Amino acid sequence: MPSFLKALNSQVGRKVMTGITGVGLMFFLIGHLLGNLTIFGSPEAFNIYTKKLESLGPLLYLIEAGLAFFFLYHTILGISIWRNKKKARPGGYKKYQSKGGASHQSLASKSMIYTGIIIFVFLIIHLITFKFGATETVMLEGEQARDLRALVLDKFQNPLYTFGYTFVLLLFIFHLSHGFWSAFTSLGMKHGDFSKKMQMAAYAFGIILMVGFIFIPLYIYFTGGQGSLIAY
Amino acid sequence: MSLDSKVPEGPLTEKWSKHLQDIKLVAPNNKRKYEVIVVGTGLAGGAAAASFAEMGYNVRSFCIQDSARRAHSIAAQGGINAAKNYPNDGDSIWRLFYDTIKGGDYRSREANVYRLAQVSNEIIDQAVAQGVPFAREYGGQLANRSFGGAQVSRTFYAKGQTGQQLLLGAYQAMMRQVHKGNIKYHPRHEMLELVVIDGQAKGIITRDLVSGELKRWEADAVVLATGGYGNVFYLSTNAKNSNVTAAWRAHKKGAYFANPCYVQVHPTCIPVSGDYQSKLTLMSESLRNDGRVWVPKKKGDKRHPNDIPDEERYYYLEERYPSFGNLVPRDVASRNAKNVCDDGYGVGETGLAVYLDFRDAIKRDGKEAVEARYGNLFEMYENIAGDNPYKQPMRIYPAVHYTMGGLWVDYNLMSNIPGLFVAGEANFSDHGANRLGASALMQGLSDGYFVLPYTIGNYLADQAPGKRYGTDHGAFVEAENEAQGQIDKLLNVNGDRTIIDFHRSLGKIVWDKIGIARNEEDLKSAIEEIRELREEFWQNVKVPGDKNNYNKYLEFAGRVADFFELAELMAEDALNRDESAGCHLREEHQTEEGEALRNDEDYSFVAAWEYGGVNGKLEETLHKENLEFEFVELKQRSYK
Amino acid sequence: MSKEMTIHLKYWKQDGPDARGYFEEYTLDNVNEHMSFLEMLDVLNEELMLKDKAPVEFDYDCREGICGSCNLVINGQAHGPKERVAACQLHMRNYSDGDHITIEPPRAAAFPVIKDLVVDRSAFDRIIEAGGYVSVKTGAAPEANSIPVEQEKANKAFDYATCIGCGACVAACPNASASLFTGAKIAHLNKLPQGEVERTNRVVNMVDQMKEEGFGDCSNYAECEAVCPVGISITAIAEMRKDYIKAVFKGD
Ligand SMILES: Cc1cc2nc3c(=O)[nH]c(=O)nc-3n(C[C@H](O)[C@H](O)[C@H](O)COP(=O)(O)OP(=O)(O)OC[C@H]3O[C@@H](n4cnc5c(N)ncnc54)[C@H](O)[C@@H]3O)c2cc1C
Ligand code: HEM
Ligand code: HEM
Ligand code: SF4
Ligand code: F3S
Ligand code: FES
Repeated sequence: MPSFLKALNSQVGRKVMTGITGVGLMFFLIGHLLGNLTIFGSPEAFNIYTKKLESLGPLLYLIEAGLAFFFLYHTILGISIWRNKKKARPGGYKKYQSKGGASHQSLASKSMIYTGIIIFVFLIIHLITFKFGATETVMLEGEQARDLRALVLDKFQNPLYTFGYTFVLLLFIFHLSHGFWSAFTSLGMKHGDFSKKMQMAAYAFGIILMVGFIFIPLYIYFTGGQGSLIAY
Repeated sequence: MSLDSKVPEGPLTEKWSKHLQDIKLVAPNNKRKYEVIVVGTGLAGGAAAASFAEMGYNVRSFCIQDSARRAHSIAAQGGINAAKNYPNDGDSIWRLFYDTIKGGDYRSREANVYRLAQVSNEIIDQAVAQGVPFAREYGGQLANRSFGGAQVSRTFYAKGQTGQQLLLGAYQAMMRQVHKGNIKYHPRHEMLELVVIDGQAKGIITRDLVSGELKRWEADAVVLATGGYGNVFYLSTNAKNSNVTAAWRAHKKGAYFANPCYVQVHPTCIPVSGDYQSKLTLMSESLRNDGRVWVPKKKGDKRHPNDIPDEERYYYLEERYPSFGNLVPRDVASRNAKNVCDDGYGVGETGLAVYLDFRDAIKRDGKEAVEARYGNLFEMYENIAGDNPYKQPMRIYPAVHYTMGGLWVDYNLMSNIPGLFVAGEANFSDHGANRLGASALMQGLSDGYFVLPYTIGNYLADQAPGKRYGTDHGAFVEAENEAQGQIDKLLNVNGDRTIIDFHRSLGKIVWDKIGIARNEEDLKSAIEEIRELREEFWQNVKVPGDKNNYNKYLEFAGRVADFFELAELMAEDALNRDESAGCHLREEHQTEEGEALRNDEDYSFVAAWEYGGVNGKLEETLHKENLEFEFVELKQRSYK
Repeated sequence: MSKEMTIHLKYWKQDGPDARGYFEEYTLDNVNEHMSFLEMLDVLNEELMLKDKAPVEFDYDCREGICGSCNLVINGQAHGPKERVAACQLHMRNYSDGDHITIEPPRAAAFPVIKDLVVDRSAFDRIIEAGGYVSVKTGAAPEANSIPVEQEKANKAFDYATCIGCGACVAACPNASASLFTGAKIAHLNKLPQGEVERTNRVVNMVDQMKEEGFGDCSNYAECEAVCPVGISITAIAEMRKDYIKAVFKGD
């Protein structure tokens, strides 16, 4: 039996961990989308939601630390796998072509590192904007809370944010459409003719999730933050 | 001098077990003081190397390919025989023994063949334990099929890749020992000379095929498991690197070469399509179970086969051999195909092919059933030949497939040079004048796993452990110089005909005159032609590049040079054997129906040739090992 | 009559692992449609030698798609354009008159070039050495039918066992990973009761060796499956991972 550390660093371990962290992040995204959609609920709903989160206190820190760890680990592995490929094939082909058929080489799978890095940069900006962004405070249930709802509505009046987000979220579809399929294989869960169905499911997953996300900035932008879905 | 086969005394069924009891043993702690060289990593060499290493000997293994796993055995398709009698159809060791002796047309050694049948069952046990994925029944038991005219189902198989699976089993066992350090592994090394000191085999000279460097290796015994020499025909079903070089160079150092004229031709191969053809591809014989062989009744009929009505088709096997029909043995099927083509009835662009037609089978059983049986073969055919066998008949033609002849060995598989053992297709082995389908794999593995590991101990026990002469010994120097001399000579000719061109011309002579059917006149003229062409070869061959480098054509040149000498010996042997036997059909000796007619009175012997040099002509001296048949009665074969 | 055509080749020439490689261009007239791809190269070499030029080197042996010696990357595809066909079984009827064909060796740090397209694939041997076997002593095997194996399992094991060790999977993999080759052997042996006992060590050691040899990680591109001449499925890679995970958590 290999030591746990050695196993983590083996070619299987590395891949399993990209899978686990990737799937973890996907779960986060699902949760995050559901939370974000409360922006279309009652005027307080979104702020209540974010406040609830923040009131978790140490537990939140723990979750956030885990999340950060997943992000970083996933990113480091992604970059390391990509660097390893340069080492494993230094010269490269003068002419290279996929054979099609069973191949899963696609724009999506070949650009994981690029979509990934863009996501990473996006995330930093995103955190600066929202997590650490300056907000008004509102009174909620008799306590002070950050008015993140206002911040969100405000930011997405700005075309730069709106279309920047939209663009990145579109890239997410690529990352997820390969990532979702790939993660199952990484975790040893591929068998028989699972490939085609799973690939369809992966596209569906990526698209549904991201349509959900993209809807938020675009709706806010095009309705000037006054749309009928946004309650006051 | 009559050769001593060292067959142990006693009843047939007890010879081997008794021999095992009598044989000398090497003490376990002494084993690692011995070094054994195994040349070749096919079924025979791979199995031997792994088994020796496991027993504790130090092994050095050599092969030409870049990995042991690529030895020519990998290509065997059909299966491997054993007398397990799993289907309960009356098979037994005796029956397998008897079929093999009869199949070999009574030109093999009884005791060897019996031993082969005896250990056949252990081979299957061994392979299964190694994880060879043989075909299985629904109930999880091993499946069998019938093969090559046998009346029982005794062939074990792994789809059409039996050789591959068995070889990988042996290869993996070898790699396990490489990892443990018990085998020193040297792929891409070609043996060029045998080193004989004081009459005993003590080492070899190899050429590192990457750097070109010649290297000396010393050992207490040398095992050659270097495969068959079918490539003397240029076109054969053998892999491109198959060759006679190791065996031939040992022959030149004194090892007798036995029965070189026994060559098996396989009836169902994809025919030659042009001069550029580099090798022939075998199609499993099982195709003849459902395919019907025919040619047009009219010579040179150029119509599309589907346009030729039934009454204008000549189903020659069915007509000539009503009881066996399309399922006559390999040699009969091959001979008939060649005859009809020689008579001008052949089909296809070259006129060197006959039809193998599945129309009626498809009509009878439906396309699905035929596809289930032969789907992958049909695909392979279509890929190579370019037309669809579901829609039009296949074109097939015989091709050289297996060589029964090889270095002479005694019951212990030791050649007449003490310390030189020979296994697998490289020895003259257990198949007599004809090999049954699925028996070569059995023999190679039997030699490697179950015979050599014991008999080699018998020899080594008499050798002082750890006694070395050192590779500076004169015999090593001389052998290396010989190897070097041949290489330099080849590179220095710098003529204007390519090696392949020479090889192709040689192959044509051998195929036309020492091929499916032979006669005195042809054989004599073949000898002349071979000598002339050999002269020209040494005057006019063009070998590119240099020797200190990877140089495939230089490798080939050396092998072709050896084929040139072997070819003459084959003709000599065929001429000497003035009878027909098995695959060796002398046209002067056949029944009215064209069956081989043996002459047991005068030719019931193994012809073992001793090399005497080449001086314009090849000098060889004949030694005979008389074959005694104590336990079976000699019968004339008939498949009518 | 068969068709003849003109073919333009760009062939990778390289004298050794550290030598600089380059493309040499050749034009061949009279390429017969029934020739195999390697036979076309034979013909090229015959012409070159007659003109006192150096022949091109490439590896081959069986020429029937089973030994795994041949390994050409043809127009950027390992073993050429046809699915489930090794380069030696590729026929020129798949090309047309005037076609340009680029031929390169499999490129991977773990497969150093020996000459032209001939590369050193001994890394594969060492991966097998690390555990691709069942430890059984010659002669000590139990009666073959004493352990029944379900037909379906045996068939699956067989499918994985048909790997010919050609290295096309490495050649085509964008990461130069050897996962398909390694996974195929692990899946073959671990599927059978005979291989069961050593499954833990086998998977761990073979996976380690893969890395040691300098192959890349597997990103599940499945290009390897697409080029594999015997169609080994990347399910083999998934099986390898499953076994590895089990090994880590279950121990010996
Ligand atoms: C297409 C085909 C199908 C067949 N099907 C069947 C079948 O279904 N059943 C059956 O029983 N038999 C079959 N046979 C026959 C059988 O495959 C062979 O007879 C058998 O595999 C020979 O094994 P071997 O170990 O003797 O030699 P090989 O497998 O030929 O191995 C020879 C080894 O020697 C090495 N070598 C040779 N010369 C040198 C040298 N000078 N220096 C260093 N190394 C050297 C090679 O590198 C190689 O490793 C078939 C043969 C062919 C061609
Ligand atoms: C919410 C954010 C993210 C999610 C949901 C996500 C999801 C995934 C998933 C599921 C996979 C497939 C894992 C596998 O093949 O086993 C994957 C792969 C990958 N991810 Fe992400 N990812 C995210 C962020 C990132 C970031 C920030 C990077 C930064 C570089 C990145 C780089 C990669 C790369 C390179 C791969 C391919 C790994 C390989 O080649 O094997 N991802 N991602
Ligand atoms: C329309 C799209 C999005 C909106 C409106 C949105 C909104 C927000 C808001 C308001 C916060 C601050 C929460 C807080 O501080 O309590 C936040 C945090 C965060 N967002 Fe987003 N987000 C969006 C998309 C994304 C995407 C695509 C990602 C994935 C990479 C992401 C990752 C995060 C992370 C990691 C945090 C920090 C969570 C924490 O620390 O608790 N967000 N988001
Ligand atoms: S897995 Fe397929 S491509 Fe890879 S080495 Fe084996 S046969 Fe070749
Ligand atoms: S192409 Fe490469 S990335 Fe994995 S699935 Fe195949 S080894
Ligand atoms: S030469 Fe053997 S697989 Fe191509």
